[in-house]
Amino acid sequence: MNSNAFLHFLTLLLFKQKGKHIGAVLISVIIIFLLSSVLFISSSLQHTLLGTLESQSDFTVSRVQAGKSINTPLEWVDKVLEINGISKVAPRVYGRYFFAPREESFLVVGVDLFDEQSSKELQSLVKDLDLKSFLSTESMLVGEGVKTFLTEHYYKEYFSFKTPDGKFKKVKMFQTLPSQTNLIANDMIIMPIELAREIFGLGEDEVTDITFNVPNDAEWDNIIAKLHLLFYDVRVVEKREIKKAYENLYNYKGGLFLILYLVTMITFMLILYQRYSMVYSTERKEIGILRAVGWSIKDILKLKFYETAVVVLVSFVLGVVLAYLYVFIWDAPLLSQIFLGGANLPNHVEFVPVLEFGLLGSIFLFYAIPFLAAVLIPAWKIAVTPPKEAML
Amino acid sequence: MIKEFFIVVSVILSLAGFVLVHYMTHNSISSQEMLSSVTKVTKLSSPSLSVAYYEPRVLFYEEALNPAYPQMQTINKMDLVYEQ
Repeated sequence: MNSNAFLHFLTLLLFKQKGKHIGAVLISVIIIFLLSSVLFISSSLQHTLLGTLESQSDFTVSRVQAGKSINTPLEWVDKVLEINGISKVAPRVYGRYFFAPREESFLVVGVDLFDEQSSKELQSLVKDLDLKSFLSTESMLVGEGVKTFLTEHYYKEYFSFKTPDGKFKKVKMFQTLPSQTNLIANDMIIMPIELAREIFGLGEDEVTDITFNVPNDAEWDNIIAKLHLLFYDVRVVEKREIKKAYENLYNYKGGLFLILYLVTMITFMLILYQRYSMVYSTERKEIGILRAVGWSIKDILKLKFYETAVVVLVSFVLGVVLAYLYVFIWDAPLLSQIFLGGANLPNHVEFVPVLEFGLLGSIFLFYAIPFLAAVLIPAWKIAVTPPKEAML
Repeated sequence: MIKEFFIVVSVILSLAGFVLVHYMTHNSISSQEMLSSVTKVTKLSSPSLSVAYYEPRVLFYEEALNPAYPQMQTINKMDLVYEQ
């Protein structure tokens, strides 16, 4: 058959029977859109968090009592420094501040601003930050979520923290952290380390935990053993463990959605198969007529293959494009809450576009092959029957 | 090929083209650098999970509490008792 005439007939058929195809395209687009959106969000989060993890220290040590982490003595810093092969030892002070009237919480982080590295990073992060005037008063930098929440509750410039000894500590909201950092810092409050100690009621010789780096990877296990010999009440957290936790956190969600996708896909394919193999369907009549006017089985299968391939390709591209727009342009409203939660401050995260072409290829194959099979098998079954019988 | 089909295919291809151009030209390095700066300053890389007070906010450093008995120890911590 002339290929131009075949193409013309194929496209004509697609538009003449558009009512038949629109339903299949619509359902396919919804399925592909949902699956791609979930996978786009999970791969973007995973990629961003694993990239950020590179900047974190290799180890964290904290004191434990009765299985719970408690405040760590500051003198441990000197003891840790004595171990060979350790660098960049730094204490951390952080914790959650519970805002009782609304049952919301903020993550308060104390930063040693007299440390050159920290102050440099902070100045590169927050444009036009005047560190001198920041340190001259009791001030804090707040994440976008905290700023919105406090403004809504009439804390325009200052917020009063209640310390464990019952006193109030009035702290100035100096500046807001950039919205690009919402993924990590939406509910974060950054303040000088001494101020954070005061708010949490920590002594001068106490910190939350201690972080350090071990540049030589081969020494990691050895260092853990040395730490356990040095302290009996210590909990050591490695960066490797956190990395695994991040991978599992979002793989689990991707996996769960993959199962739901498979269930939906199988149901959809069954419906398609059922429709095409119905005894009195228009498909049967159409194939019967084509066979009666002289089309071979091969020509009919070719027509059905191309017809389905167009439907599959159009639905796949539309589904993926819509998912991309939804996640990376409109920042996935509603769906992002499944990944980041919605029980505390609302978080508006800008997802960094990450496209895994291998993953998209797998989705396409898992979608296209069952779809083609669900159409071509019944079409072949009808095509091999005599035309007279098929048109009955 | 009929005209309507050509129009539909052109619209879909231009949408796909827009996505590819957006993907290629998006400056993801600056966002990543900003997040890395926050981690370098605070030494915390945990995502800002919007969770209730009894759920862990800083992953791997905080444990989930029982909402009914927040003071109760979590079961997965019992292994430390046996280790000692």
